Amino acid sequence: MSSLQLYSPTDLNDALRFLEHDGRNAAVIASGTDLLPRMKRRQISPSILVDISSFTEDLRYIHQSDGTIRLGALTTVTDLLESPMFYGRLSIIREAATLFGAPQVRNVATVGGNICSAASSEDLIPVFMALDAKLKLASARGERTVPLRDFVVGKRQTAMEPSEILTEVSFSPPGGHSWTAYEKLGRRNMLILAMVNEALSLTLEDDLQTIHSARLALNRVSGKIPALAVRTGNFLEGKRATDQTIAQAQKVLASELSLTSDFRGSGEYRTEVAQVYLRRLVERCTRQIGGPS
Amino acid sequence: MAQRAITINVNGTEHPVQVDAPDRLIDVLRDQLNLKSVKEGCSTGDCGICAVLVDGKLVNSCLMLAAQCDGRRVTTLEGLLEDQTMKRLQGSFIANNAAQCGFCTPAMLMASWDLARHSAEPSSEEIKVAISGILCRCTGYYQIIDSIREGCEKGGR
Repeated sequence: MSSLQLYSPTDLNDALRFLEHDGRNAAVIASGTDLLPRMKRRQISPSILVDISSFTEDLRYIHQSDGTIRLGALTTVTDLLESPMFYGRLSIIREAATLFGAPQVRNVATVGGNICSAASSEDLIPVFMALDAKLKLASARGERTVPLRDFVVGKRQTAMEPSEILTEVSFSPPGGHSWTAYEKLGRRNMLILAMVNEALSLTLEDDLQTIHSARLALNRVSGKIPALAVRTGNFLEGKRATDQTIAQAQKVLASELSLTSDFRGSGEYRTEVAQVYLRRLVERCTRQIGGPS
Repeated sequence: MAQRAITINVNGTEHPVQVDAPDRLIDVLRDQLNLKSVKEGCSTGDCGICAVLVDGKLVNSCLMLAAQCDGRRVTTLEGLLEDQTMKRLQGSFIANNAAQCGFCTPAMLMASWDLARHSAEPSSEEIKVAISGILCRCTGYYQIIDSIREGCEKGGR
């Protein structure tokens, strides 16, 4: 890292202008909890870091307005835990934040950084995918909004241009007969990268029996890429939330997943756990909504 | 390569320092300010031995660039030696033999102090969460957990 340089822009526009003109071999750094270890391991070697960590006034917020919750990209995981917003139907966010890293990491790690890291171990990606979150990407040429489901295009690869900065994550909180739930498995409880990480947002019809919609997201669906399990979600829709439906959905999920093995666990084991979690998630959601037990 | 001048408030004193871009907070604390309670273990955020407080929040000083701490307030164990809560915690660590090799002890004390500020009677579960980011390689966790519980209790808040 000896030739590394650091640029500390005065504001977001300055950062965007810099990336537009000198962005080649640059990396945006917020808290650095993911970036610095990767640089240390020489997995990436940017020649210049653009430090946006001081833009907390503009990019660290949790707002709700017009039925949309907006999180500034520099919102920390501890901010999520301390917010009164993430209880009830949105306790999925608290659950994931509680199991995220350890206190020292939660205190600085940002929502935007976790999403931009785009690895299969990022705890927040499946959660925000289940919530159908949208991302606001800013560049010197303007802003655009991308659904999170289209954002992660490969292992640690995103749809973001090198000249862009993620500024905001937004989603509509589920209403009516809806609930959300999250499960994470690692080899220990704390400070662990997930082997399986699974989030569900479930809505029932007025009869509280039939599944209106189901959005299921996992840290890995194919290979090492976090994504929605679209086929499993589609399968559940319109069916009654019975034991039998869940058993069938588990089979659909197993056929939808193509998971490889690594030192954290085998593909077979991950698939098995993902199926068990699917049952738990559906049951937890329906129980909370007051549907079939 | 250009150095930059920054000012960090460490343990209540403003320290103007010169840093290079790759310098981390731990480098400044240990090498420039000679604060050796801050240990370097894994350098990748896994072991937490380098934990200090930045603006009152516990962080890993190996994962923070020094330049990002310009104008911020850093507290290390050296800055808490006269603090009553810290003295109590140190006393109970000694009484319970909670330091084996001692390498993780400063970080354990920082995490304990941070917990004691927020919780007068923490449960074992809360204590475990508070120190979950700090690896004791001697695996003497039970003595540490007992020490923290006693140290917090004696606060009598």
